[in-house]
Amino acid sequence: MTRKDSFIKPLLDENPITLHILGICSALAITNSLTSSLIMSVSLTTVLVMTNVAISLIRKHLPSSVRLIVQITIIASAVTVIDQILTAYLPDAAKTLSVYVALIVTNCIVLGRAEACAMKHGVVTSILDALGNGLGYSLILIVVAVIRELLGNGSLMGQSILKLVHEGGWYEPNAMMMLPPSAFFIIGFLIWGIRTWKPVQKEAADFKPVPLPDREKR
Amino acid sequence: MTNDSPLKAFLVILLTALVCSSFVSAAVVILRPIQMNNKMIERSRNIIKLTGLVEEGQTPAEEEMLELYQGMDVRILDIDQADYNPDLDPLTFDARRAASNPELSVDIPVNQDLADLGRRSRYAPIYMVPDEEGKLDRLILPVHGAGMWSTIYGYIALESDLNTIAAVTFYEQNETPGLGDQILRPEWQAQWEGRRLYDDEGQLRFAISHGKVEPGSATWLYQVDALTGATVTADAVTSIIHYWFGPNGYKDFLQKLRELNGEVG
Repeated sequence: MTRKDSFIKPLLDENPITLHILGICSALAITNSLTSSLIMSVSLTTVLVMTNVAISLIRKHLPSSVRLIVQITIIASAVTVIDQILTAYLPDAAKTLSVYVALIVTNCIVLGRAEACAMKHGVVTSILDALGNGLGYSLILIVVAVIRELLGNGSLMGQSILKLVHEGGWYEPNAMMMLPPSAFFIIGFLIWGIRTWKPVQKEAADFKPVPLPDREKR
Repeated sequence: MTNDSPLKAFLVILLTALVCSSFVSAAVVILRPIQMNNKMIERSRNIIKLTGLVEEGQTPAEEEMLELYQGMDVRILDIDQADYNPDLDPLTFDARRAASNPELSVDIPVNQDLADLGRRSRYAPIYMVPDEEGKLDRLILPVHGAGMWSTIYGYIALESDLNTIAAVTFYEQNETPGLGDQILRPEWQAQWEGRRLYDDEGQLRFAISHGKVEPGSATWLYQVDALTGATVTADAVTSIIHYWFGPNGYKDFLQKLRELNGEVG
């Protein structure tokens, strides 16, 4: 895989959300507002770059017996620093994101990229890989958030686009879009769409259904 | 030294821990003043709206807001003793943290726990807005309790008779979007204005009605219109008010303050 590939591929072909189905927790929870989704995207991408660089730098000195502990320590520290910066400079956004920023620690994308890429590649490749995966995650988050906020609240980034009925407009908001299950449906449709477009992403069946016994022989 | 030797593993862990912890500590220490300031601004933003000192719909600049905030008489109330606690600093006291500290909080017996709190802080920060003569003009009290999905937090401002509601705000909630979260709508909150908590016999009568309240009817003085499709949230708000203004909440303190007739003591 070339360096270019490690940046391009995670955007769509190996997207962390739609192909690997990682990072779903935050994708469901915070995509009811485009603003929170953008902040979450930037936070996750920053954490990914920071941890991938740090782990790639020390990868040759990591004893395999303790590598996961070291990786998680680094990830948790990066997340705590980002969380502190958000509560200091973007207090309102930090409040709506609440625990989800801290939960980046358990976001499988971060640990997944540390294990799959940063442990095996140099710093430059690791940075590109982190950016690619961060943007791939952001892309899905933004698409889902645009759909949810527009249909659920008639607005984008808090700016009213479709005038709501109770504010004297015509649009009756779809309240389900503000609830987490709607993100589940939208991501499901996205996965379906992407896999129809790129059949190579389809997974082989894990097992073949057992054929029913022949009626006549019974 | 090979990567597999135990000593190397130990050293790597030690170094990682040292480097990471210094980064985290540096971030926390450097950013704390900014975070504290944000907290103050956030708290005063919620309260300033209720003081009647700023015009409706106006958001004062941060400096002006902090100045107004400091013009208030902020005290820590010992809820069960119905008296002030001068030992706690109202600026830094955190009632939410106190609720999980055994020394600062009390268990609420199930049969008294109207607002489904489980435990609450013994103390609450209360905000007194003085008029020109230094007498009590408005009293702002914090309330909270279980809503439909999570805890609802708000403030209620009372007029100087300590019975008429001057204003209300809910600043943290997670009610159903589009239904229960109508408690945030300014038009609905505006209905609270002028409603009374207690009747002439001292009975707590306030409630969110289950239907439309006819102006001038017997219950009108004590009731606010229902929220369409949000019965659970509406009942929860009623229960919250009944807990906090009942005998286990602020009732005794309000009685005491009423006897002082505007002097805040």
